[in-house]
Order: sequence, then structure tokens, then C-alpha cells
Amino acid sequence: MPMLKIHYSLESDLKKDIVDIPAPDEINIRVSNLVLKTGKGKKIAKGELIAEHPSRFGGAYHAPVSGKVTKVNYHHITIKSDGTDNCVEPVDLSSLETGKELLRTLQGLGVDVAPLSSASRLLIINGLNPEPGISVTEQLLRVELKTIEAGLEMARRFIAPEQTVLAVSAGSPYRLDGAEIKQIKPKYPNSLDALVAKKVTGKEFPEETRIMSVVDLYRIGKIVLSGLPITDTTITVGDTNYHIPLGTPIRHLVEYLGLEVSSGDKVVLGGPFRGEAVYSLSEGVKKADHGLFVVKAGSFPAIEDATCINCGECVLNCPARIQANLISRYAEFEMFDHAVRHGLHSCLECGLCSFNCTARRPLLQYIRFAKTQLMNQGAGEQEQG
Amino acid sequence: MTPPVIKAMSDVAVRLTVSPAPHWRSKRTVEKMMMCHLLALVPAMAMAIYMFGIRAASLAGIAGAVAVVTEAVCLKLQNRDINVDNYSALYEGVLFAFLLPAGAPWWLAAIGAVVTIALGRTVFGGFGCNPVCAPLVAWAFCRLSWPQAMDIDFNTAQFAMNYPLDQLKHFGVDSLYQFDYKNLFYGFQLGGIGSSQVAALLVGGIFLIATGWIRIFIPLSFLIGVAGTATLFWGIDPSVYADPLFHILTGSTVFAAFFLAPDVASSPVGKIPQILFGLIAGIMVVIIRVYGIYPDGVPFAIMIANLLTPLLDRVRPKPFGGR
Ligand code: SF4
Ligand code: SF4
Repeated sequence: MPMLKIHYSLESDLKKDIVDIPAPDEINIRVSNLVLKTGKGKKIAKGELIAEHPSRFGGAYHAPVSGKVTKVNYHHITIKSDGTDNCVEPVDLSSLETGKELLRTLQGLGVDVAPLSSASRLLIINGLNPEPGISVTEQLLRVELKTIEAGLEMARRFIAPEQTVLAVSAGSPYRLDGAEIKQIKPKYPNSLDALVAKKVTGKEFPEETRIMSVVDLYRIGKIVLSGLPITDTTITVGDTNYHIPLGTPIRHLVEYLGLEVSSGDKVVLGGPFRGEAVYSLSEGVKKADHGLFVVKAGSFPAIEDATCINCGECVLNCPARIQANLISRYAEFEMFDHAVRHGLHSCLECGLCSFNCTARRPLLQYIRFAKTQLMNQGAGEQEQG
Repeated sequence: MTPPVIKAMSDVAVRLTVSPAPHWRSKRTVEKMMMCHLLALVPAMAMAIYMFGIRAASLAGIAGAVAVVTEAVCLKLQNRDINVDNYSALYEGVLFAFLLPAGAPWWLAAIGAVVTIALGRTVFGGFGCNPVCAPLVAWAFCRLSWPQAMDIDFNTAQFAMNYPLDQLKHFGVDSLYQFDYKNLFYGFQLGGIGSSQVAALLVGGIFLIATGWIRIFIPLSFLIGVAGTATLFWGIDPSVYADPLFHILTGSTVFAAFFLAPDVASSPVGKIPQILFGLIAGIMVVIIRVYGIYPDGVPFAIMIANLLTPLLDRVRPKPFGGR
């Protein structure tokens, strides 16, 4: 087994095309916090609506295969594929004017339309790979340019920007029609939206600025060109990118690609800095997942709930210039107001503080905990008020 | 309020490890950090043995061993995990020994080590929580309790050399002709057994910076603080005040720059605070040497700066996007 190399580089050396992974017999889609639109025992066609997002602009979810819903619980629904190509009819978008109806249609086809919901002077397209080890963004820029440009055109109809900028890693050849180029050093965490926006505008959290990723545009483009909802995601495993139906259990991927996973290993969906370690190989891939990593047991010293030794590495490495050591302690003792006062909401969730912590404290976890608790409190208050 | 734990689809065949992001980590650990710090002391230890004989090694050995035992006992009494295998107690015990004169009695090394751990760390909550550099707490304690045993000149009388800082204190700048700066640099001088090994400590310090275990901010600003303040006095009257190089090469200046001042627990965490901290400590060293009653101003200078640490850490930049 090759040694795991830790690095911050966001560069990718892409030679292959994107490989399609065939749909498995059974898929598991996570539906916690979604509004279910189907039920157990229902027969559904590929592309049929299965759930809606509860927020105002969140995209809907659709069946990635044709088949039957066999299990529904709080977390997942399971669909057993019937192996046919039975698919919903495409929607004709070209007949629709730019406006509410088109927006709702896009939302209904799976696009998170929040970025399209109002106009903005500047549109920034984040064309950097999101995290080390993930090359989806540059891969799409390399081989799916037409689709991305179709998506960009659609996005521009809504946002009506005066200026469009594509942020790419310095030295890379990627371009988009009608977008200026901003070269950014391809080193994590420079790929985070907030830092890209700062590099482009020189301001922190600038106004009148919308930022979208290449993947966002690619998805919109795909819908525009096909009229069909989003039912897959693109994921990097090793040096190759794969199109993979949403909800495909990791086990299927692991078997198909011949990966080695044993007890005690971590399997991470998403990136090495911000991703999620799954607890079961039956877990299905989600829309926002763009990487799959197997971290072998013993590769890293385990996270511990140890006391901080005050070494300062978390502070010295923080791109948001906040004191993760302090904030995490406030979060630990549920003193959320203090955490906010010390800049909790400036945290970009890059994970570098935990990455570098000498005492191996779960700093990012505490920060996320504080943020969710505050959000839930806020939501609770709104309901009451 | 704990949300219900629903283990949907849990799997018995392959039991995966689950943990919060990030899933890659730098390989920093407290153990490694302390091991590297100990390693960084090795050249100075070797020079100390060369200079002061095997006695230097036995003092360091006693202090180190007693510190580890004390730490274990303290942790046990508090019902905490006994993690003395992280070398932090050993390291700080040895640091204390480095401040001792070569002729110091063995019991002093032992008591100092107990004080380093018990008074320096445990009462404040253990490793990482001490507001003042722990070996210095012990140094101050012993210095006040047994002034003779801690006195450098007194305890090294068998050597045909003088303690440079005592000479400066008592006989003035004119007496300094006896010191060759090259010898001072190589550690051929009286002083604490380890803390006077300027060149060897510099090697260790550079090693720690190069390997990323300490940041350059505190050592550099500390040395600048010492040099700058010394230059100021020297510029005022070179016949009364020693030159900056003398201040850097004598006493425990270099030792403090790389090993005492950057002590993780008692130094600030931010970059600007660290720079201010170093400067203040450095400036204090020379001021105490000039005006104070103790020949080497270093320990008290660092302790004063330590006490300012919480204040300095309030100097923080605006958070990202903050108003
Ligand atoms: S995750 Fe940590 S390092 Fe990153 S911005 Fe937040 S506090 Fe700073
Ligand atoms: S990196 Fe970890 S040990 Fe160091 S100051 Fe931050 S929280 Fe404390």
C-alpha cells in the first residue's frame, strides 16, 4: 500500500476521462431533514421526485434508478432497481422566460437556486479543486466545458452580473467563455469560497458578489441541455473521476474499484479536511460528495479530548484569524455567546486548526457544534416568535 | 439535550472508525514535540559534560527522573490518566537542571524538580495550563530558599574562571577584558550547567525551528529585545554598560530564547502577541541586569513576561470579515 502523503496542494494532473460507474441493484439515499414525496412500496421511474428540500431554495431529490422503494426510515430510503431504463420525460426549459417559473423549475430539477434568486454585480466562479486529493473541478473544466458554459449562461440570466470572474489555480489552462481569469495559488485552504472572493475582490465577505462553483454550473448546464433532473454526482477516487448515481452505497464503489477497506479504517465521503467519516459501507453518496478516501487505521494519531497545551498552532494557522483554542473551549462548556464574541462566525470551517493541533483536540468539531447549537436556538426562537 | 442515536444500516462485517473532520492530520503530537525538545537539548548536555564533568549529567538525570515520578504521583492523586510517557515532565525537569550551577548539591536538583512539577504545573491544572514557565518557578523558589546553593560563582569555585555576569555586576565593564567572546560562544564559561552552552543551545534551537516545533517569533524578538536594549545602554556609555554581544553570550540568554521563553503554556498564542512577548522579555533581561540585584536577569524577565501573556493575547487581529 502506498504511503499516504499529506499535502495542501490543490493541483491535479489529469489524463483520463471521467468514468461512468453503473448503477447498483440497490441504492440508499439519505433523506434526514428532507420532505419525503414517496413512500414504501411505490414504483418509481428514474428521475421521479422522491423528496424536496425544506428550505426556500434547496433543490429537489430524484430517483437515480427506476425501481421500487423498499425501505423508508428516518435516515434513508432504499430503492431497488428494476434494471430498466424507465425514465421520466425531459422538461423543455427553452420555452420558459427568465423568472420565477424557470427558477422553480430548476429547483424542482434538483438545483439549489439560492445563488440565482437575486441579481448581483459580480459573479465569481470557483474553479479550484475544493480540497487536496479531489480533482473534480478541474476535471469538469477539462472535459465538460460545453455543459459548464451552458450552466453559466443560465446563471447569468438570473444574476445579470456586470463582471464574471473564473478563479483558477495559477498556471492552469482552464478558461470559460465570457469570464475573466483570476489565478490563485493552488494551495489549501485557498479554494474556500470566502478566500477566493477575497483574492478576486480584495475584500472580506464583499457585497454584491455571488460565488458559484464549477460543479454548480455543470449541474445547471446538464439540466439545461437534457431537461432531466440531477441524479448523479462526480467523485474523485485516487487519480480518477467517476460519474456515479446518487445513493450508490459505498460498498458498491469499493467493490467496483477494488479498494481495500478493513475494520478500523476510516471511509471518508468528501474531502480529507472537511468530509464526513461514514459508519457503514451501506451509506450512499450524496450530491455534495466529491471525493472518497480510505484512511487506513493507524495512519494518524487519533483525536483526543485532551486539554489544550496552549501551543498556538491553531491560531497561527487560521485563515480566519480567530482563536480556535479559545472558541473551542467556550463551545465545550456551552458558552456560545463568548464564542460568537471571539469570532465564531468568521470561521471558514477549513479544518486547519484541528489538523495542526498538537494536543489533537477536535477543534473544528467543537466549532461546528457551537454553530449548530446557535442555529437551532435561533430556529427555536423564530418558531416561538 | 442529546439527539437520539439511530444507527441506521450499521454494519458488523466491517466496523469502520468514525471521527470528526479533518481526517488527515499533521503528525504533531505532544510526545513527538517533547521528544524533539529533549533531542534539542542533547548538544548542550554533551557540552555540559565536557565542561563540568559527569556531575552535570547526574544533576540533569536526577532532576529529570524526580520530575517524572512527581508528575506520576500528582496525576495519580488527581485521578487523572498517568501520561508521563509524553516526556513533558522529563523535559521540564531537565530544563530546571540546566539552570543549576555545576556544584549544586543533588538534593537541590531533586527538590527543584518536585517544585517544577508540583508548584509549577500541577497546582495550575497540569501541563499546558501553567501561567509561568514551570522550571523558572522552581528556579525562583530555590534561589530564594537556598541562595548559596544556587549561586553560580560560589558553586563553581573550583574552576579557574569567573561568572561573567557576576563580574559585570560587581566589577563593572572594565573587568570584562578577561572574557574572550569566542570562548563564551563555545560555552567555555561559568553559568548554569546547560544554560551557558551558547553554541550548542543555538544548534538545538535552530533544530526546533527548522522542524517546526517552535516558531521563530519569540526567539527572534527576544534576542532583538536583548540586543536592542543593550545597544541603547551601551550607546549611552560604553564604559559603564556592556555591549550587546556580551549580553547575548552570557547567562541564560540563548537558553531562554529557544527553550524558556517559547514554553507553550506560558507564552502567547498569536503572532503579534508572541512578538511583543519576546520583545518585552528581552528588554526586561537587560534592564534587570543593569538595575536589578540578580546578575542574570533572564529568569525574572521571562516570568514577568509570562504574567503579561493573558494580556498580550488580547491583542488579536480582527476576525475574517469582522467589523
Ligand atoms: S476551521 Fe479552524 S483554522 Fe479554519 S477558519 Fe475555522 S477556526 Fe480557523
Ligand atoms: S493547537 Fe491545540 S494545543 Fe495548540 S493552542 Fe490550539 S487547541 Fe491548544
